[in-house]
Amino acid sequence: MSGLSPAGGRAALCLSLSLSRRRGALRGFAAGPQTHFGFQTVTEEERREKSERGGGGGARSVQPPGLRAGARLGVNQVFESVAKKYDVMNDSMTLGIHRLWKDVLVRKMNPSPGTQLLDVAGGTGDIAFRFINYVRSVRERQLQRRLKHHQNLSWQEIAQSYQEDKSPLGGSQVVVCDINKEMLKVGKEKAQDLGYSEGLSWVLGNAEELPFDDDKFDVYTIAFGIRNVTRIDLALQEAYRVLKPGGRFLCLEFSQVSNPLLSRLYDLYSFQVIPVLGEVIAGDWKSYQYLVESIRRFPPQEELKAMIEDAGFFKVDYQNLNSGIVAIHSGFKL
Amino acid sequence: MAAAAAGSLRRAGWGLWRGRAVVRWQLSPPQRPLQASAVLRRVSDEHKKEPLASSSQQQFDSHPADHQPGQEPQGPDPSYTGQGSQESEDYESEEQLQHRILTAALEFVPEHGWTAEAIAEGAKALGLSAAAAGMFQSDGSQLILHFLSQCNTKLSELLEQEQKLVQQGEAEKKPIDQFLRDAVEARLRMVIPYLERWPQALSILLMPHNIPSSLSLLSSMIDDILHYAGDQSTDINWYTRRAVLTGIYNTTELVMMQDSSPDFEDTWRFLENRIADAMKMGDTANQVQSTGEAIVQGLMGAAVTIKNLTGLNQRR
Repeated sequence: MSGLSPAGGRAALCLSLSLSRRRGALRGFAAGPQTHFGFQTVTEEERREKSERGGGGGARSVQPPGLRAGARLGVNQVFESVAKKYDVMNDSMTLGIHRLWKDVLVRKMNPSPGTQLLDVAGGTGDIAFRFINYVRSVRERQLQRRLKHHQNLSWQEIAQSYQEDKSPLGGSQVVVCDINKEMLKVGKEKAQDLGYSEGLSWVLGNAEELPFDDDKFDVYTIAFGIRNVTRIDLALQEAYRVLKPGGRFLCLEFSQVSNPLLSRLYDLYSFQVIPVLGEVIAGDWKSYQYLVESIRRFPPQEELKAMIEDAGFFKVDYQNLNSGIVAIHSGFKL
Repeated sequence: MAAAAAGSLRRAGWGLWRGRAVVRWQLSPPQRPLQASAVLRRVSDEHKKEPLASSSQQQFDSHPADHQPGQEPQGPDPSYTGQGSQESEDYESEEQLQHRILTAALEFVPEHGWTAEAIAEGAKALGLSAAAAGMFQSDGSQLILHFLSQCNTKLSELLEQEQKLVQQGEAEKKPIDQFLRDAVEARLRMVIPYLERWPQALSILLMPHNIPSSLSLLSSMIDDILHYAGDQSTDINWYTRRAVLTGIYNTTELVMMQDSSPDFEDTWRFLENRIADAMKMGDTANQVQSTGEAIVQGLMGAAVTIKNLTGLNQRR
């Protein structure tokens, strides 16, 4: 089931559908609502348990502790197998442009010192590290400006300034939440290698049911992760719940390209080059097949904007990067 | 706990919604109540904390509607007069919330300048997260434009009141130059609290993408002043008067920024002189024209005389 062309994909679809129906009858429970796994239409249960099709043989992953029953083993399996090579694959697939996209996201966020960020599906910590760098430089500038005014001070004012908060991050915190333990492990190692120690937390959790209280975070970001969520509306509602009033929701995701010529080239690149790269670099054709197919199935910009508005966000807007290959959606909890 | 129950109720409601055909509510975003306004009222109204908190949760479960019976125990808040047909008196739109954030941010301008930081501080002062400043452009231009339109509104009200007093006979009608002087002075005085940061504001307003909005605010202000001054011209004077007054206003503003005299006396004297110049200019224009005509006639006469003398005028 190489499924390079859509026709091959459809054949695989029929096969998987019949197999899944039979399996459902064997198990004796009604097949649940249909959803998609790449170009295959499967039940939601199937998507969660998709190990044979997604992982391509190999040991079934042990269910990570802390997740409820019905954990999404299928998507889980995909990311476990790619966790170690995630960053390398990102660079080779997007020719390094993904760094620029993430830079644009953090610049758009424009965080001030003291911001609490929740980065969901941010396993390897790209957004978290960029956030910390940005806040550090803003904080430095702030402290420098304060120093400039401190030229002619009385002794009392000098004493007061010692009590002021001079921390390099100004109270900012990032919580990186991911459903996959392997990705978090890779992220933690990267943080140690790059020297990020303060202001970071790593939490295992499911975007559809976040293990946080209400009204906790200033900004919620999900970069290239919302595509893998089974129930996007649930994830959006959870985002709404954990954000403070006035908080911002930011979503960076692959989207639909409007330009027809670019769209043809993009399709060609996606279906011909990316799975091959996946096989060569990460030794995993199927995961990258899944990736490319899930991009095509993801709702376009306007539809995602409507879904975000339905979850309760105001001033929802999107910005296309590279004419629609990637889009940043932004909404506010007002 | 009530929040969790409300949240699960809401999710159950969502489940029901998904079954039906999805109808996109083009109007629904402005109709939905802003949770922030409920939060802000909670902050400002200590006594009514509990009923507000629970009722604001309720409004998310029920079908979004214009009227929530028994939602606000103390009745409609007087500060939100019913604007817009879609919202009931208790809800405010995103625009109103944005105006409130910008107004609150003005307090922090002397410290942070006309920047996104000031807007973030303003949002924090209202009880919102600092991330709400992301709603506005990052160069702070919306804050400046908001301030300018506020000043212009205040000026119009001032001039309106003065006009009423004159109409009721309680005050003397001022001569034109006095009126213009007072109006421009009143408008410039509104800038004084932010004078240290005003050069930054002017430079931001001069950026190409901000010029249309700042220019329109400036011209509407000048128009207002001249209207209340009694200008009813319908010819080229309409344009020249506005252009002259705009020039006077801009130059006086620049003088004010580097003025260090007590209570800006130098600035007001400069203004007085410029307006006097402008008044004289009208007379001078007429004089120049008649002088010009006289000169031209003289030259024509001289030309004819020379022609006569040299015999060119004769027909041979």
